[in-house]
Amino acid sequence: MKTSSLSVARLIVLRDLRLAFRKPSQLIQPLMFFMIVATLFPLTLTPELSRLRDAAPGVLWVGALLSSLLALEFLFREDADDGTLEQFALSGQSLTWMLFAKTCTHWLLTGLPLALFAPIAAMLLGVPAQAVGGVLAALALGSFAMSLVGAIGAGLTLGARRGGVLLSLLTLPLAVPILVFGADATQRAIIGDPIGPPMYLLGAIAVLGITLSPLAAAAAVRIGLE
Amino acid sequence: MNWVWFHRFGSPPYVYGFARRWAPWFGAVAGLLMVVALYGGLVLAPADYQQKDAFRMMYVHAPSATMSLMVYSTLAVASAVGLIWRMKVAHAAAAACAPIGAWFTVATLGTGMLWGKPMWGTYWEWDPRLTSELVLLFLYFGYMGLRAAIEDPQKADKASALLAIVGAVNIPIIHYSVVWWNGLHQENSTKLGSDADMAWSMVWPLLLMLLAFALYFGAVFLIRLRAELLRRERNASWIREVLS
Amino acid sequence: MSEFFEMGGYGKYLWPAFALGFGIVVLNLVLAWSSLRNAETQARRRMEMKP
Repeated sequence: MKTSSLSVARLIVLRDLRLAFRKPSQLIQPLMFFMIVATLFPLTLTPELSRLRDAAPGVLWVGALLSSLLALEFLFREDADDGTLEQFALSGQSLTWMLFAKTCTHWLLTGLPLALFAPIAAMLLGVPAQAVGGVLAALALGSFAMSLVGAIGAGLTLGARRGGVLLSLLTLPLAVPILVFGADATQRAIIGDPIGPPMYLLGAIAVLGITLSPLAAAAAVRIGLE
Repeated sequence: MNWVWFHRFGSPPYVYGFARRWAPWFGAVAGLLMVVALYGGLVLAPADYQQKDAFRMMYVHAPSATMSLMVYSTLAVASAVGLIWRMKVAHAAAAACAPIGAWFTVATLGTGMLWGKPMWGTYWEWDPRLTSELVLLFLYFGYMGLRAAIEDPQKADKASALLAIVGAVNIPIIHYSVVWWNGLHQENSTKLGSDADMAWSMVWPLLLMLLAFALYFGAVFLIRLRAELLRRERNASWIREVLS
Repeated sequence: MSEFFEMGGYGKYLWPAFALGFGIVVLNLVLAWSSLRNAETQARRRMEMKP
């Protein structure tokens, strides 16, 4: 009986969601980290909301990036450790598709909650209420692209010692475009300009990521499993 | 098309011999050209209308910048060749490129800063080209870091090759995003060495210096390649012959 | 001659820039050469250990 791609994806998504919700404390950590970072910036810069508003795009995106990097540790690590990843590779199903399913689930568990929480952090940084929709949209799309890009680094560092720091070093330069366009979209939202152009570019990066990143991640995982 | 030459380059002892033979020549010619280009750029070329004598820093900054990118491309191509045709020599070549390219990037950033101070009034400006160079330096460090972190040499080869290719795909995207970002906050308009309407007497030393740097890279690359091949071939018999 | 060193007032940036650029050129050569020497010594040692 041949399993269809859709049911493979459904199985993986459900499995990852179930496993994640068994350890809810682990789910909260990236979110808490993001909130802490968002709090640290005012503490180190200024309590004046008007000045914080200028720095808000930067703070939100750097916080989101750092939190993403923390969360990426969990994307493949546990499955690699207990041999599940190997089973995926040997299963005869498309590893690319399976890793894409895993990455999407990972985003649902880390990036999306972060985007939903971001309005709160944004208001702490003096962002006006009407900009909050744009902030959310930009971070949602950007964090999705970030998960995709990060999956490649996560796959590459599976076999490396002290993978965490290296993962950051590898992923951050590749994430520069996401940062630039995402922060621009956020800034435009804050000052009330249309956020179209940077969002489209962010979308383009996300689409590029969807097509290329699972392929690269699968190749990376295969190299690591040899 | 005779592909024998390509397959010859798949053989470590052949490449080793090639490197040993040709590196000195590349180096000697490079050195000569550098001297001539320096003379042309520092003495013969007239001072620039806008930047006066400061523009002469272009003769060390521009070749470094070009090489930093060219070396990365070489690294990426070698990585692809290594992955597709499973050529050990290609992976060795990629590994040999990395430190050289990273140093070119450092040179670009340093000379850029020194050029920037008289031109912009400050040692650093977040202009698109310097910022992209900085990100390129991070890419080099990521590549070298990944290589160093993986114990198994073959895994290290393949993983870093994959990273190099992903990075290569990303470089134009990164550069474009940096240009976009810079355009948002455009304050300075003086680029480092705007090369509109440069007299030939200014151009030929630059072209010559570029060629010199490329040949110099060839020499250093061949030396490092020899070292890489020695390290990788462990106990192959050809090494015994070569060392005696 | 001193005009040459002054470089129209930009000398104090220009010469360090060239020193840095060509210093790195020399350094790279030296590093590559020492890496080769190192690899040769290691290879010789390996040859000796194997009968």
